[in-house]
Amino acid sequence: MIPSPMKPQWFQILLALARAPLHGYGIQRAVLERTDAGIRLWPAMLYRSLATLEEEGLIASVAAPEDAPDDERRQYYALTRTGRERLRRESDLLARWVRAAEAELS
Amino acid sequence: MGRDRGTSAYRALMRLFPQGFRTARGREMERLFTDVRAAWEDERGRPGTRFWLSVTWDTVRGAAGEWGSLAMETSTRATGVARGELMSQMMADVRYAWRRILREPLYAGLILLLMTVGIAGNAAVFRIFNGLFLRPLPFEDAGQLVDLDETAPQWNLEYVGIAYPDFAAWRESNRSFESMAVYDGGGANFASGGTAERISYVAASHDLDDVLRLEPEVGRFFTEAEDVPDGPKVVLLTDGFWAQKFDRDPAVLGSSISLDGEPYDIIGVLPPEARFVADAQVWRPLQEKVESSRGWYLTGVGRLRPGVTMEQAVADLTSVHKGMIESRDVNRITSPVMSSLRDRYLGDVRLGAGLLLAAVGIVLLIACANIAGLMYARSLSREDEMAVRLALGAGRVRIASQLLTESALLAVLGAVAGAVLGLWGSGALVRAMADRFPPWVTFELDARVFGFGLCLTAAAILLFGLTPALRSARGAHAARVGRTTASGARRRGMGLLVMGEVALALVLLVVGGLSALDVWRLGRVDPGFRVDGLTEYAISLPAARYPDTDSREAFLQAYLQRLRAEPGVEHVAAASSLPLSGHWGWFYVVEGEAPRGENDANPVVLQRVVTPGYLETMGVQLLAGRGFDEFDGREEGAGVILVNETFARTRMGGVEGAVGRRIAPGTGIPDDEEDWLTVVGVTRDVMHYGVDTPMRPGVYQPWRQIPLSSMQIALVYDGPTADAVAAARRVTADLDPELPLASVRTMSESMDRSLWTRRAASWLIGTFSAVALLLAVAGLYGVISYSVNERAREISVRMAVGARHGQVLAQVVRQGMTLVGAGVGVGLLASVAAGGLVSGILVEVGPREPAVYVAVTALLLVVAALANFVPARRASRLDPMVALRGE
Repeated sequence: MIPSPMKPQWFQILLALARAPLHGYGIQRAVLERTDAGIRLWPAMLYRSLATLEEEGLIASVAAPEDAPDDERRQYYALTRTGRERLRRESDLLARWVRAAEAELS
Repeated sequence: MGRDRGTSAYRALMRLFPQGFRTARGREMERLFTDVRAAWEDERGRPGTRFWLSVTWDTVRGAAGEWGSLAMETSTRATGVARGELMSQMMADVRYAWRRILREPLYAGLILLLMTVGIAGNAAVFRIFNGLFLRPLPFEDAGQLVDLDETAPQWNLEYVGIAYPDFAAWRESNRSFESMAVYDGGGANFASGGTAERISYVAASHDLDDVLRLEPEVGRFFTEAEDVPDGPKVVLLTDGFWAQKFDRDPAVLGSSISLDGEPYDIIGVLPPEARFVADAQVWRPLQEKVESSRGWYLTGVGRLRPGVTMEQAVADLTSVHKGMIESRDVNRITSPVMSSLRDRYLGDVRLGAGLLLAAVGIVLLIACANIAGLMYARSLSREDEMAVRLALGAGRVRIASQLLTESALLAVLGAVAGAVLGLWGSGALVRAMADRFPPWVTFELDARVFGFGLCLTAAAILLFGLTPALRSARGAHAARVGRTTASGARRRGMGLLVMGEVALALVLLVVGGLSALDVWRLGRVDPGFRVDGLTEYAISLPAARYPDTDSREAFLQAYLQRLRAEPGVEHVAAASSLPLSGHWGWFYVVEGEAPRGENDANPVVLQRVVTPGYLETMGVQLLAGRGFDEFDGREEGAGVILVNETFARTRMGGVEGAVGRRIAPGTGIPDDEEDWLTVVGVTRDVMHYGVDTPMRPGVYQPWRQIPLSSMQIALVYDGPTADAVAAARRVTADLDPELPLASVRTMSESMDRSLWTRRAASWLIGTFSAVALLLAVAGLYGVISYSVNERAREISVRMAVGARHGQVLAQVVRQGMTLVGAGVGVGLLASVAAGGLVSGILVEVGPREPAVYVAVTALLLVVAALANFVPARRASRLDPMVALRGE
């Protein structure tokens, strides 16, 4: 069971996969850029997270897309339907919290 | 190359993960690692410590997490308890343990206290021991470094220092050393901005940086070409001095400083490790002549070639040394010696430190025995609870793990409290020891201290926690019928524990008693000189401004006169070395003595140079003849000298008849008749090297005969020390504002300092033995109380059929004292053995001093009898009806 709110690195991984499947390094870069280098996913952290998310059915391993660069074949990960729903619920929750916080602070 | 090494390092790290995880994700992770590293290199340059720390931390944490979940799954499969449930079971155990602890605060508090006491002492002493003997020296391949010296048993000296010609020959011809160097320490007046202060320097041969592998922080070390007689005046600053006086300004290179009135060019700054050599402010080249005749005064250090043992090196140097006998005949007397740096400088405290470590170890052992006893007794009292829980279907493993959780929780809490207490306490000790050991000894906390604490705690938990846990789980489900028969075995087990505790405590008490008596007696030894009211300091007249005897004498006379005129000053005098401040040895020949060859035994004589009034100032007693006056030593050919009692007895056949005879410095009859000195008086011995060290033969010469420029001043002042020092500073500044006072202290400080290590060790051992006694007696009390409770029914029956109170009392006390007696017997035997081990730290007391054995045994017996008496009295007051009705 993934608790709610979920760990920030999980949220970021799901978010990174929202637009298109990515491989491990792609996820790492995406998260790094989105968080302004605030979350740097080192290998063990990233792959343990991926393992958990996969077990919970939020993401799935997929084949490399056709237009992937002519690299060795890497393992790609994609968001599942459950994962997308979960991401939406999670971001709704965070949005509610942010609104509440802004109301308090204004 | 570096890249591949990095990848294989990462692969090695990944081995931390469980096999399954590695198979599934290993290749991907490795790829990610190489990508991340490449990106890091693009963004931030070569991946350094930060990168690797992050990677390592990430891997270790991840691996720990994986193993955790793996363990959880395995146990879930094995026990059928779901994953979340196991976690909650552990939490439940902890919560349950907490509740039990809170419900029995006395019991828990006792265990906490015992554990805290045991661990605190160990943490404190281990920190000291670690600093002294385990921390590596701050040099590259420090294991190759050895201390070099010369020994001269014929002169009654273990170490004489190295003579430069000997060193030059060793360095030239040895085959065992990569490099070797010698150095000497000294003081110089450093003048800057109108004020002067005394600083210390190291004068080193040019190879000292190679031996120690020191890299100057700035600039360079001096070269071989600079280390020649009358070479250039150059210095290196030590790191501390650079920071203190020059604000770490690299621009000091090329500027110069004034030492003893002469300019020295600054050519470099030494790294902090240079403190190892001495706590000096500057280093300068030794610039000694190969044919130097200054004698044995140098300290040596060498770096052995890899694979060469110390024995081989000694043999090598000895053969080089023997080769010089043709040219320097004295080399028949001295020979090279070597020891590890630690042994040379800390060898004499090793025994004491080891002893303290053993003492705290014993305290912890006794504490653990007590805890085991407590837990054992309690596990018995909880047998009913356990039996019920087993009957209701609780697993044995569950029960054992619950009990273990409880003891572990208490032990860890106690250990943390103990560690904090111990390190805090040792902090005070460390601060007090700061300048009592060579500067390279530091007591920072390191991984070794923490590791030691962890191992100790784990060992303690296993020692006292596991046994009752296993026992309960195993024994509790047996029917409780056999209880009365089992109780005999139980009591025997606990009796053995107590016996052991008593024996160990007695050993510690004997050692503590011996050491306390020794220190007490040392404190009462009459040193033979004035201690109270005496202030001492050193001055050194720079040759630049005081070039000859006349100028020095003019100053010294005026100086002493001005001091004497200060209100409050009762006596004042100057001496080359006051008691407790070092040795200056010389040889003397007595007129009429059988002539001795250069190589015959010739015990060295302590030579002191003093001004008139010295004996009165120092309170040294005159046994015959007179002291010096203003006229002594002025007239050529009419030299005078004072000898001490040991000199008179060993060299002149006794105090009587010594006055009027003549002696001369040197090893043979002087060529010049005028060199003979007439003995004008015999003084009582003073304990020049400290009350714990035997006195040598000694002499005093008047200052006029040996007009030294560096002297120590002794000032007897009626009033506070601060006023005495202020008066001295005032007078000094009046006569020569650029003259600094050095080593200002009182004689009682010097005295305390010379005995400090012994006192501190004695206090610590005393404290530990008191704690051990307390713990052992508490254990005894617990066991007797327990056995009285257990036998309440039996006692009641006996009282019901007519036993008197007194009989019951006597029986219980006898039972307890039998245990104590057995413990004392074993303890005394062990103490006699231990006494032999500690004799090395005793001076005034023999290791088998009967008074100590009798006193501590009596103390232990009395305290033990008291501890027995209380539960025995309770037993004798039992109301027979209460116990019988209960059946």
